[in-house]
Amino acid sequence: MTTTEIPFLLELVIAFFLLIGALVALLGSIGLARLPDFYTRLHAPTKASTLGVGCTLLGSLLYFSFINEGISVQEGLITLFLFVTAPVSAHMMAKAALHRRVRCVRRTRNVPWEGDES
Amino acid sequence: MQLALLILMPLLGALLPAVRRHDPVVRLAVLAALPALASLMLLLSLLPQVLAGETLLWTREWVPTLGLSVSLRLDGLAWLFATLITGIGCLIILYARFYFAGKSTAGRFYTLILLFMAAMLGIVLSENLLVMLVFWELTSLVSFLLIGFSWDKRGARRGARMSLVITAGGGLALLAGIVLLGQVVGSYQLTDVLAAGDEIRAHAQYPLILSLILLGAFTKSAQFPFHLWLPHAMAAPTPVSAYLHSATMVKAGLFLMARLHPALADTELWFTLVTITGMLTLMVGAFVAMFMHDIKGLLAYSTVSHLGLITLLLGLGTPMALAAALFHLVCHALFKAPLFMMAGYVDQATGSRDMQQINGLWRYMPALMVLTAIPAAAMAGLPLMSGYLSKKMLFVESLQVSSPDWATLVIPVWVTLAGLFSVAYSIRIFHNVFFNGKPVELPIYPPKKISNSALSPLFLLAAATLAVGLAPQLAYQWLVQPAVSAANGLPLPPYDFSQLGARLPLLMGIVALIGGLLFYMARNPLFAIHARLPEVDAKEIFEWLMQRCIRFSQHQVYGLENGSLQRYLALLLGTAVVMGFWATEGFRDWQGSIALQPLDAMTLLGGLILCGAAFGVAIFHHQRLPALLLLGVTGLFVTLTFARFSAPDLALTQLSVEVMAVVIMMLALSFLPQQSPSESRWPRVSRDLIIAGVAGLGVALFAFAILTRPMESISSFFLANSVSGGGGTNVVNVILVDFRGFDTLGEITVLGIAAVAVFAFTRDLHLKERAVPIADENWVAEPHPIILSMVARLVLPIAFLVSAYIFLRGHNLPGGGFIAGLVTAVALTLQYMAGGLAWAQSRMVMQFRPLIGAGLLVALFTGLASWVFGYPFLTSAFGYVHWPLIGKFELASALVFDLGVYLTVVGATLLILANLGKLMTVAGPGKEIG
Repeated sequence: MTTTEIPFLLELVIAFFLLIGALVALLGSIGLARLPDFYTRLHAPTKASTLGVGCTLLGSLLYFSFINEGISVQEGLITLFLFVTAPVSAHMMAKAALHRRVRCVRRTRNVPWEGDES
Repeated sequence: MQLALLILMPLLGALLPAVRRHDPVVRLAVLAALPALASLMLLLSLLPQVLAGETLLWTREWVPTLGLSVSLRLDGLAWLFATLITGIGCLIILYARFYFAGKSTAGRFYTLILLFMAAMLGIVLSENLLVMLVFWELTSLVSFLLIGFSWDKRGARRGARMSLVITAGGGLALLAGIVLLGQVVGSYQLTDVLAAGDEIRAHAQYPLILSLILLGAFTKSAQFPFHLWLPHAMAAPTPVSAYLHSATMVKAGLFLMARLHPALADTELWFTLVTITGMLTLMVGAFVAMFMHDIKGLLAYSTVSHLGLITLLLGLGTPMALAAALFHLVCHALFKAPLFMMAGYVDQATGSRDMQQINGLWRYMPALMVLTAIPAAAMAGLPLMSGYLSKKMLFVESLQVSSPDWATLVIPVWVTLAGLFSVAYSIRIFHNVFFNGKPVELPIYPPKKISNSALSPLFLLAAATLAVGLAPQLAYQWLVQPAVSAANGLPLPPYDFSQLGARLPLLMGIVALIGGLLFYMARNPLFAIHARLPEVDAKEIFEWLMQRCIRFSQHQVYGLENGSLQRYLALLLGTAVVMGFWATEGFRDWQGSIALQPLDAMTLLGGLILCGAAFGVAIFHHQRLPALLLLGVTGLFVTLTFARFSAPDLALTQLSVEVMAVVIMMLALSFLPQQSPSESRWPRVSRDLIIAGVAGLGVALFAFAILTRPMESISSFFLANSVSGGGGTNVVNVILVDFRGFDTLGEITVLGIAAVAVFAFTRDLHLKERAVPIADENWVAEPHPIILSMVARLVLPIAFLVSAYIFLRGHNLPGGGFIAGLVTAVALTLQYMAGGLAWAQSRMVMQFRPLIGAGLLVALFTGLASWVFGYPFLTSAFGYVHWPLIGKFELASALVFDLGVYLTVVGATLLILANLGKLMTVAGPGKEIG
């Protein structure tokens, strides 16, 4: 690996982004495992894949832009596509779940099919 | 080249009526007549050379290592047959213009008849025996289509099948005979074969060769007992019968016997086989013909009998018998075709072909009567007619047979008797149709008028018959003598027509004439006797035999192939395992000399996940969605494996294939029941487990053994020559589009066919028991959420950009037409999913099937283009150009080829997807997609 010195301040910023990313990913995973029903569970991985992966990529972008002396665009593009696709897929999954009347926790308010036979 | 043109003109001309099949019949007839006439004119212009005794040859190498070359030959014999084929063909085209007037099927008829003409010309003009065989089978196939022309009628279908089975079956025998012959001679060229006659006759395999070749000739020429197909072929429209079953196709067998005469004939075996077959056919045909009430049936059996006559003459082996045979062949073609034409007109005018109903037509169609009288008289062998001479020639030749002893007496008596019958049925067809009282209960009464112009082909043929009869010397000298010389291999002296006046033949002729007249007078009691005989319908027997054969083979096939995929897999894998064990028995050194690579944690983890997911698929296969997800995981890890071990092209391909595969599987799975029942019991499961486990471990072991050994493979050649030979640094792509371009062409063809097959299967498919739709299906107000469709639209141009990039860089960096095609297909699939089938389909610029076709054509023509520059098929050319702004840019013809690959992949993938998707729509198949 290269042995280029990175300024301390930059190191701090990169570390900050990486840590935040890892933390959000961890929270997302815990949420996916612990939350009670499909609709609440859907929130967790979407945060992990946007905010978590996004922060990590930001750290990576800073690091490689400095190392390779030129702005590294791949990470930017990946982040962009993630930010476009993750919400859309989450949205579609929620739609599908509603469509199929996937069971929800009792406290849910304004259930669309409330009052039906089920 | 002239010779090739002779065949090519009708062959290519066949396209014209096919393309313009909705035109009126008159224009179609002109379109069809043009190539036929052109061929005829070309033949006539070659006549001086043929008369001078020249043999024109034209050769183009095809597969030289197999002794296969497209070579053509025109000598006297070929010229005679070719002239008959094109000349009578022209008249048939003219005749069909009236026969098919006002019918919509004329285009099909003209296409087929020209194809048939080309195939027949191919037979008679071939110099190479293998090429001749190709044309031989082609005539069988086209004849099948022509006999089954009215495919909505059962009789036509059965007759067509029967003729195909018999003639094509005989063709197989002929193939065997010709291959043997070629091996004996060492060449398939006719010139060599004809020169090697003594060698062939002395060879130990001569009886086998002769039997096989004669089997082919006899089946084609409807010799007893294979004659059965010919009467049943009368289900064809009359122009077909007149052309194929009197003048041309049935003569192919005779042509073959005449052609191979110098090589095979004049042995005792030849005499026995050919003469006896000819005699039997002659008698059976002549006898049965008398009792046919159907005009065409009578003509069919009379044709059988005349074919037998010619065969008999070919077998006799007397010096001038060959001349008599060919002379009679010409006469027969000239008088039988107009009789068939008459039958067709009478059928159309009266709605019946039954001679018990049709009587006394002379009042209604006197011109037809006069024009029928001439060929009928020729068929009977009345004086001054062509048939008179040829029949006399037969009598003369039959008297010349000196050995064996039985033949000296039997043959003359036999042919006189057959001549008697032929006189009888000739009188019958003329007298019964035009005289013999009044019509009885005709379906169309009074009969329709026939226009004078419609009679023109009959007039021409009748005039030709008369001309041959009046000036036999001339006809013989111009038409027959060169043919006889060519067939014989040696020039023959001119035929002495004066010897026909000798006393004994004259006597035989008179006996036949008077006997035939008497026989005809006594017809009514004879018919009564015949009607009382038990009726044997050959077609029913044949059909029964066919059904038995089919049922037998079905039984055999289904006994093994019962439709269970598990069974097939078990059989295949089991065989592989057994063979593997057998081959590696005692093999111990599985690990080769190459040291193992160090194992790193990431690879190990990936491998474990891959294995776990694969096991998961097997375990969860009853639950479709988890199984599908796990399958996706497997695919992704395979992709990663490719990426890890430096196969970026494969990784890219695998990734895009994986996406498409999951989408297609989702579509397909939705048609299957939600829960699959558990069917297998434990003995079976354990059997499957053992087979699968052993096979898997075996494959792994083999891979391990091979990968740890140094291997000298072809890949180093590709690596070394990729840039210099193909102009690209991406070896994978260079192999695909250049080194192995022919393979790729084959593969995309298969892909295209598979896609079209999916289209065809799902086209009219109504899936009633589709996965039950959930109650009030569309309560989520929008089936195609706006967010998804908006994003999908945004993605589309980017995806196109990416695929264009991948496509263009493919020659030098990972990428290429296949991957680019898949990327495009994925992006377009997203449009279908986001916007719905109808929405996306209405926005497609092009249908998919044309897209596939265009892709294949682009690829094919890129390959063909290298021919133009004199290189082998699919040779790639490349060069570098400097463009301003962009810089050095490579232009390779392989890029165009890759474009073909790209188009085919896009078209095929989307065709499959859209059609499977169409099945999902609630309404079922709506408008056709593709």
